[in-house]
This record gives sequence, structure tokens and C-alpha cells, in this order.
Amino acid sequence: MSILSQLNSPAMYAICGGIVAFVALICIVFLVRAWKAGLALGMDPVKLKRVVVSSATFSALPSVGILLGVIALSGSLGTPWPWLRLSVIGALHYETQVAQAAAEQAGMKSLSAAEMTPQGFATIALLMSLCIIWGIVLSIFFNKRYTKKLSSGSGSGKGAAGFGDLAMTAMFIGLVSAYIGSYLGGFISSNGLFTFSGDWTPLLVAAVSAGVMALFVYLAEKKHITWVENFSIAGSMLAGMAAAVLVGLL
Amino acid sequence: MEQKQKDALWAQYSKQTHVLGRVLSILTVVLLLGAPFVIGGLLGAYPDLGATARGFLSVGLVWTVSSVAEFLIYTPMLGAGGGYLAFITGNLINMKIPCAVNARDLAGVKTGTAENEIVSTLSIATSSLVTIVILALGVLALQPLQPVLQSPALQPAFANVVPALFGAMAYQYYRKNIVVAIAPLAVMSVLFTLVPGLISSTSFMIIPSGALAIGIAYTIYKKKKTGKEAQA
Repeated sequence: MSILSQLNSPAMYAICGGIVAFVALICIVFLVRAWKAGLALGMDPVKLKRVVVSSATFSALPSVGILLGVIALSGSLGTPWPWLRLSVIGALHYETQVAQAAAEQAGMKSLSAAEMTPQGFATIALLMSLCIIWGIVLSIFFNKRYTKKLSSGSGSGKGAAGFGDLAMTAMFIGLVSAYIGSYLGGFISSNGLFTFSGDWTPLLVAAVSAGVMALFVYLAEKKHITWVENFSIAGSMLAGMAAAVLVGLL
Repeated sequence: MEQKQKDALWAQYSKQTHVLGRVLSILTVVLLLGAPFVIGGLLGAYPDLGATARGFLSVGLVWTVSSVAEFLIYTPMLGAGGGYLAFITGNLINMKIPCAVNARDLAGVKTGTAENEIVSTLSIATSSLVTIVILALGVLALQPLQPVLQSPALQPAFANVVPALFGAMAYQYYRKNIVVAIAPLAVMSVLFTLVPGLISSTSFMIIPSGALAIGIAYTIYKKKKTGKEAQA
């Protein structure tokens, strides 16, 4: 039996699928609890439903991108393990990098099925898990203390959050600015300072996506077509990604 | 319902969230770290602990530092329940954080309030379930789907999911907070242009960029507050 057949065996699907199912159950428990608590606190059920619908539509496209990560890794690690890793704690940009580094430490030249051994796989799997668990470990020890400290103490919460809310918005602006700055810098200087010969696709994609978002905002705010808000992010992303496909075809 | 009752209900909910969050997080860690050993038993070879330790020293430490930064930055955005869930399910920067922030804005709730905690938890849980379902369906249909999803024509689309996301989010945030946004965007653009080697460390550059944005936001906040006090 080849190593890939072993890695794609029903037993592997059962182990990895079992853990994914456990995490799905955790999500359902938190979802139901939050919904009930929201209603008990007097929140508008229409608003809660809107949050759920918009989050679902928001997540659909990036999830397909994550699925591609599973496909990309399935050639060397089989399908069940990448499926688990990208469903639990995993991150698209992280898994390939760590898997490659782990393969090197396991004595392989590169991450490939041709060089994979059972021990190599078990080592890669352990290192991939070990490297990514620290966010969850910090949550176990410090989430309670940290959130308590940060809480505005507004109880059931009509009180103003003061600077906290503005700080979070600013942090997000910083995050987006770092990435957009990196796309611009990549285009201008990635092939040598001020050569303007780098990849401009991310910049174009971001611009198209922003333009379509502007259109959605116009429809929602000026034309009062509020239902489009639920699909504004997904729609904008889809337009941006379509622009990337067009650039690729040029 | 009276305010006192609401406060008591909220206190109980928060307490249970931390108990559940901790227990389920510990179980997830045990399952994740235990799985390679169970799989090793199945394959007939256990992980090489020496190679694992060397690998951790070469790449794990970087991710550990990154995890600390992510915990400090994202937990306040997500609240307790959303925080536990987001760190269990992952994909924070490319999905969970923007998703929760978008939901917060859509619902019009403020960070640090009970409503934000509820909205954030609903958002992260829904987002995670959608990913789990799409991945499960994708894995089921993996063979017939592969040619379509891996067709060269579609690759640029999936390689640009993050720029597409941040472009849309940038419009939403910049238009309302342009004064806060100008400096971080300009500084980051100049920095990445002059030191293109930093592009591979963009996730770390979020920290100075965010700190700059927060500094500017704080200055504006203080000015407004002082102005209001002077008027009063």
C-alpha cells in the first residue's frame, strides 16, 4: 500500500473527521448560547439573523480559497490531514510553510509524496499542530483576565465604550494599511528599488473590490436598498477576484 | 426585563463562556497533539521527537511570537466567546477578524459591550461552520472538483482572496476615518517600497501600523473630549 493510500485511508478520515466534527459541535454550542443570550438581553432577532446571514455569505468565498489550500497539500500529505489542519486552528498562509520546514527536519528534501515516510508524516503532523496551538493556549490561560480588564464594565451593555471602540477600528485600519502598503511596495520595488515591475494584480484587485464596495454603499445609503449590505463584502470580493482572472487571461 | 436581571444574566453567561471556552480549548489541544501519535500508531511509526524539537526551534518560535501578537490584538475585537472560538478554528486574518468586524458594524454595536460579545460570537461561529461545511463538501467532492478549482485560469482569483477582502474593507473603513488612515497607509507604502524585504513580514508590520493608527485615533479622541469639556 503506497503512503498516499495510507494517508487517504478510511481510518485517517475517521480520525480527522471526528476532530472536525467535534469543532463543528463547539461552534454550534457557542452559536446557540449566544443567540439565546442575545434574545434574553433584548436584542432584536432580526439584527441577530442579519449577523448570521452576513457572516455566512462573507465566509463562503474565503472558504473556497481555504479549500484550495487543502487541495494543494493533499498531493503530499493526503486529504484528511490538511482538511483537519485548515478546519481547526489552521491558517492558509501558515500550513504550507510549516509543513515544508517540518519535512526538511524529517530528513526530506521537499514536501512530496515521493519522499514521504510514515514517520516523516507523523513528525510533520506533530510539528504542524505544535507550532499553531499557542493562540489557543494563551486563550486558555489569559482570555478571562484579558477580556475582564478590557471590558468597559457596561453590563448588559448600552454604555459607551469610550476610546476602546475607536482603538479597535484604528487597529483594523492599521492592519488593512499594512497589507495595502505591501501590495504597493511589492509593485514598485519587489524586483529592485523603484523598478515598477512587480506584480500589480493585488493592487488592481483591491481597487476593484473597493470600487464595487463603494457601489454597494451607494445603493444601501443613497438608494436605501439595505438588503445588499448582507452581500456587499462577498460581492466586492467576487468582483475583485474576477478582475484577477481577467488579468491572468491578458 | 429589568437592568439588574440583565446584568445577572450576563454575568452568568460570561462565567459559563469562560468555563466552556477553557474546557473545549483544552480538549481541542489534546485532540490536535494526540492525533499525530494515534496516526503514527496506525501507520506503524511514531513522530520523531528530536526532529519535531529542531523544527519547532526553526519555525515554531516565529509562530509563537506571532500567536502572542494575534492574541493581544484580536481578543479585544472578538470578546471572550468569539476569542475562544476564533483561536480554536483559526484563519483569523483572512476571514474571522474581518467577518466579526463587518458583523459588528452591520449590527451597530460597540466594542467592549455585551451586544458586541454576542454579535462577535455569532459571527465567528457561523463563519467557522460555513468553512467546515465547505471544506467537508469540497473534500467529499475533491476528485471531480480538482480540475475546475485547479484550472490555471482560476488560480489568480484564489491567489488574490486577501487583496479582494482588504480592498473592500479599506473602502468601508477609510471613508469614515480618513484622517486616521492616511498616515499608516503612507508610512507602510513608503516602508515597503524602500525595504521590499519587509513584504514577507507583513503580518508583523501590522503592529507598528496599528500602533500608529491607534496613536492618531487617540490624539483625535483626546482633542474632541477636551473640546467638549471646554464647551460644557
